[in-house]
Amino acid sequence: MTPPEPQSAPAAEARAPVARANPWLCALLAWLIPGAGHLVLRRWGRGGIFLALILTSLVVGVALEGKLWHVIPGQPLSYLGTLTCAGLGIPFLVLRFVLDYQGNLHAQGYEYGAAFILTAGLMNLLVILDAWDIARGLKE
Amino acid sequence: MSHFLLMVLYSALVSLFFAALWRRRLRDQVVLFLQLFLGMVGVGLALAWLMYPFPSGPPTPIP
Repeated sequence: MTPPEPQSAPAAEARAPVARANPWLCALLAWLIPGAGHLVLRRWGRGGIFLALILTSLVVGVALEGKLWHVIPGQPLSYLGTLTCAGLGIPFLVLRFVLDYQGNLHAQGYEYGAAFILTAGLMNLLVILDAWDIARGLKE
Repeated sequence: MSHFLLMVLYSALVSLFFAALWRRRLRDQVVLFLQLFLGMVGVGLALAWLMYPFPSGPPTPIP
């Protein structure tokens, strides 16, 4: 008899029955608060991991005074950058409209910080899709 | 913070994220994390080494 294979917390959660939840609600919550979509689906471990990773990436980006993209008329790339940053949900809204954060062009870490912030936004967009798939029963 | 440390931190964050997103079993997650992390850092170092002969700033004045 072979010993049971070690499983991570997310793996154990994957075997748990999927909590019923509205996919749209999950996606909305996942957008507003990174990882919240998984928490609603009782994927505690994965939700916590995603929250920690995304917030860490964002905090590092802001600490480096990286660029937070905003729409610049006539520059199509700025639309993509803004959409990516907006994928962060509430953290983006707070940075943009409450703290009026834009980054510091003269900071040494401006470009590096921008990469961390954009990556945080992209990660949350993928997390939203993952929560959507789990809520619809397309994924464990 | 140095460029190298930032690269290592970035690689670690991204590798952890995709390991948690794409794999379910712990062993698979560790394997994918190592593949991604070492791949990103290794390719980064290789590219840096390849670019080493190229100047990174204005040419030094000829004495």
